[in-house]
Amino acid sequence: MSFSVSLRGVTLKYRATEALSDIDLDLEAGKIYGLLGRNGAGKTTLLSLLAAFRRPTAGEVRVDGRPVWENAEVVSRVALVREGGDFDDSENVRSALETGELRPSFDLDYALRLADEFELPLKTKVRELSRGKRSVLAAVSGLAARAELTMFDEVHLGMDAPTRDRFYSELLADYMERPRTVILSTHLIDEVANYLEEVVIVDRGRLLRHDPLEALQGMGAALTGPAEAVDDAVAGLETLAEQRLGGTKSVTVAGALDAGRRERAAAAGVEIGPVGLQDLFIHLTDPERTGA
Amino acid sequence: MPDRNVTLGNRRYGFGVSLFTEGMRYFAFWIVAAIVLAALAPIVVAQFRSIEISAWYFPAHAGKFFTAVIAGVFLFPMLPVCIAAGLTRRELATAMKVLGLLWSGALGALAVALFLAEHAMYRAFGWTHAIEQGPVDRPFESFGAVLEHSAWLPLTYLLYFVGGALIGVASYRWDLGWLIIVPVVPTVLFLQSAIDRTEVWGPDWFKRATEPAYEWGVAPALIATVAAIVVGAWAARRILLDTPIRAKQA
Repeated sequence: MSFSVSLRGVTLKYRATEALSDIDLDLEAGKIYGLLGRNGAGKTTLLSLLAAFRRPTAGEVRVDGRPVWENAEVVSRVALVREGGDFDDSENVRSALETGELRPSFDLDYALRLADEFELPLKTKVRELSRGKRSVLAAVSGLAARAELTMFDEVHLGMDAPTRDRFYSELLADYMERPRTVILSTHLIDEVANYLEEVVIVDRGRLLRHDPLEALQGMGAALTGPAEAVDDAVAGLETLAEQRLGGTKSVTVAGALDAGRRERAAAAGVEIGPVGLQDLFIHLTDPERTGA
Repeated sequence: MPDRNVTLGNRRYGFGVSLFTEGMRYFAFWIVAAIVLAALAPIVVAQFRSIEISAWYFPAHAGKFFTAVIAGVFLFPMLPVCIAAGLTRRELATAMKVLGLLWSGALGALAVALFLAEHAMYRAFGWTHAIEQGPVDRPFESFGAVLEHSAWLPLTYLLYFVGGALIGVASYRWDLGWLIIVPVVPTVLFLQSAIDRTEVWGPDWFKRATEPAYEWGVAPALIATVAAIVVGAWAARRILLDTPIRAKQA
């Protein structure tokens, strides 16, 4: 079973500052979502509302169609894993994992198996863990929560690349076995792009986009080939990113390519692929473009 | 820490019991050390001078502050941990009530039992069993007198627990929440003076502020203390229910 998410007119203020402004958002159950946004855009605040860490100043937050605030039936099945996790630092790793058993759905055996696979030292105190190992502990507790709505907020920070890769693989494997709603908030956009089904972009407290990944990727194109042919193919289009290696050039452009341009580019030996999510994100949240 | 067979319906109680058992286990060494020290100290001191005062009196009364610290220090860091683990604030408030009752009851019962055991030891050695009460010590002439003094301890511990919890949750809720000590600490000290009529430790103004409490009778002291516990617990719960979890520091 998975949880859907619904926000209606949600605003959250920190004193005079509006961290989120009038957000309307619906997330279907059983998908993996990417939550993207620049620093301070409101990603963590949004997740905090879904996990009842905070109450909105205005509006309504519903998970599985039910209000989330102080709702034990719901929050016991919602997991928000923040950067570094939330643990009693004086406890050892095993005790920290056992605290997860406050959730009826928590799978301690799975948590201990993951701890072994990720080489977490069970007897070490949480405060003595390196940043990377602490992140692993947080990720393990989030996976083992087996929560119908599981959210990871920059949980990868401090993990090295192989560990991140294993985490994503484990997340995907467990998701396939036990489908649930997953939200990944991250700045490592291209790293997680392959796992995402839909993408939510927040910018300065407002919802900027919520689209399937394919729809976003169709908002532009990446053209790679001989430099001159690529330049001809993208002439007149808005360039998002550009790379050159010797005589080969790769250009990411905004906007869909018409059939004629595609045919001419292909005939000139230019390969056309979907736009990189990160390039598109940079473009969409560009302050000059959004009028900041 | 929690029971592996936890269900949603009982977890708030089970969690409260777990907090108590884990807390007792965590501090077992220090509790045993205090007991052993209080038992050995008069035996050692008796080699050099006469024994005129209870040794157990000091750890038993220090236990009040220990209990307040347990409540406050637990709540402050554990609030985000508990919410992140899928607990509601209401459930945490209930778990804290269970912890407070069990902790105060168990520690209080232990304190009473050890006062009585100490009295038996002092009688066996022919020492004077007394406690400090203002300028003149108050001797215990019988087990009944010991019980009359020490039976208040579980209630006193609970009063301190509620005070500590109130300070802990207010400190988490607001940046200047710790200022709640301004009404809480004098109230707790005043009521403590009213119920056990021993001299309050601390600066002179503490003593002056709490002196009127010595005049209270048993019933008013009991009623006022129970009322303070109920009101304090209600206030702590109210603050807790509205408390947002703080953003993590970068």
